[in-house]
Amino acid sequence: MAVKTPMLEELVKGVEEGLLPARIFNDPELFALEQEKIFGRSWVYLAHESEIPKPGDYVLRYVGNNPYIVVRGEDGEVRALLDMCRHRGMRVCRAEMGNASHFRCPFHGWTYRNDGALVGVPAEREAFGPSFNKAEWGLYPIPRLEVFDGMIFGNLDPQAPSLEEWLGDIRWYLELITKRSSAGLEVLGPPQRWVVNTDWKLALETFISDSYHTLMTHRSLIELGIAPRDAKYAMYGEQVHIPGKGHGSMVIGAPPGAKLPPFWGYPEEMLERAKASYPSREQFEVARETRILLITVFPNLSIHNPIRKPDHKYQGAVPMLTFRVWHPLGPGKIEIFSWALVEKDAPEWFKEKTRLSYLRFFGSSGTFEQDDTEIWSLVTQNAGSSQGRGLRLCYRMGMDLTPDPNWPGPGVAYGINFTDANLRNFYRRYVEMLLS
Amino acid sequence: MDVTREVLDFLHREAALLDEGRYREWLSLLTEDVVYRVPVRLTRERPPQGGYGGVAEGMLHMDEDRASLEMRVARLETGFAWAEDPPSRLRHFVTNVRVGEPVRTDRGEEVEVRSYLLLFRSRWDKPDFTFLSAERQDLLRRENGGWKLARRLVILDHSTLPTHNLSFFL
Repeated sequence: MAVKTPMLEELVKGVEEGLLPARIFNDPELFALEQEKIFGRSWVYLAHESEIPKPGDYVLRYVGNNPYIVVRGEDGEVRALLDMCRHRGMRVCRAEMGNASHFRCPFHGWTYRNDGALVGVPAEREAFGPSFNKAEWGLYPIPRLEVFDGMIFGNLDPQAPSLEEWLGDIRWYLELITKRSSAGLEVLGPPQRWVVNTDWKLALETFISDSYHTLMTHRSLIELGIAPRDAKYAMYGEQVHIPGKGHGSMVIGAPPGAKLPPFWGYPEEMLERAKASYPSREQFEVARETRILLITVFPNLSIHNPIRKPDHKYQGAVPMLTFRVWHPLGPGKIEIFSWALVEKDAPEWFKEKTRLSYLRFFGSSGTFEQDDTEIWSLVTQNAGSSQGRGLRLCYRMGMDLTPDPNWPGPGVAYGINFTDANLRNFYRRYVEMLLS
Repeated sequence: MDVTREVLDFLHREAALLDEGRYREWLSLLTEDVVYRVPVRLTRERPPQGGYGGVAEGMLHMDEDRASLEMRVARLETGFAWAEDPPSRLRHFVTNVRVGEPVRTDRGEEVEVRSYLLLFRSRWDKPDFTFLSAERQDLLRRENGGWKLARRLVILDHSTLPTHNLSFFL
């Protein structure tokens, strides 16, 4: 049981009142507490199975400040091994990705098989004697590792609930993406990685509930005719949260009067496949009406799947799909890992176009996202200022709304996106984890 | 004037336009079929044949053609491009220019050019700044007497980018 400091008391009260102090975005004490209470115990997204399709394929990923080699063994099993030699703690793998049957430590030469077993110790008998047992000195595996539809998650807490329980009803929304085709998804290359002086929660807020910012933050793209002029454009669609879990989704259709093709604008053949592969008819019907889908899995994985096109002159729609991890580096500092993905069996022309739709609007140079990171950086500076940190920010949008009784999916849904409902739910879970 | 001198003039003028925010004029230095690419760079094991390792094939930071570059410039002109309004203070330091032998192709006279780039960036009223370092592998083509940029590949010296966005051109 954590000590309920005055700051935590304020957070508990603040969540219910829809008022949170700005310091949550830039505070060393809170950062340390999050590392222990949240990132030490949550299911954190590591990689997609398509990044490591063959035996020996590996990528290097992080949970908190712990480097993990996410690797497919010769037996086909996916593992995450702490990148730390058991002898003196050296990194045994310093590349970000590759293919290796073994990892050999450059310090003293201890050699591990890609399933983590220690198989070679130089001068083993002479140096360590007959009592030394290599079986006790394998690479440390992440305490928990589970996969949902190709998405690899790890958890540092051996006592954590299963990934299935952790995800709960957000699976229904994830499946709108992961089960669009029975072939599954593939990454379009490695992630873009870049550093932003902001907080992981602030970045996440944009993707879990904030369609309200589109009008102003992304006004430049409205001016170019890429986003519609209607001030209430981003208001339509459902905002859904999963109580008790912290997850949230926004399922946005075409606003009244907007002529946008169904099913995000995916090619007709993909719609037909989805009809066959979606687990339920409700999911297919929701997907058919969807133009923009955002999902955030607590704590720090966000998914964005909007209708889009490769440039402002392109005739037609080419949706894009991105997964991103808001990886905390320090108080007010994150690294973004951002992937583009596509259905494995999508037509080749579409794979090429969807990659461009992603690159030009999201990611490190994206014309949407570059304005987001500008704004997040300056909010974060203010959140660290002596006056600003105590100011309470307004999370009161949509507090008087009542849930939509007709929504066919699970969770608590509101029929309007101008609400902070998903945020209040996220922070309720956040505070609960900090306190437990 | 010899080609090397012409190419140096081109690169220095281009850098001045980029540093002075004269993006419309910068667009006029590009061919209609321009290809502008900034691949993701990764930490990989040393390639046995030498050369730049870890240049990702699948993923880029930017993969632009004429239309998308025009979109990026038009965006900067809207008055609502917050990432660069107020603008960053940029300085493109272009050095180590190596000019290849001009060749005649069916598209005209073309020349391959490699240069090193050190890009200084500062924003707001903060004393902080960032540097990006790269090699640029360009293809210039002579059109109407002057050189234009037909292809640029930017090999970054960064895996994780040290800056909060790429809201400018390299």
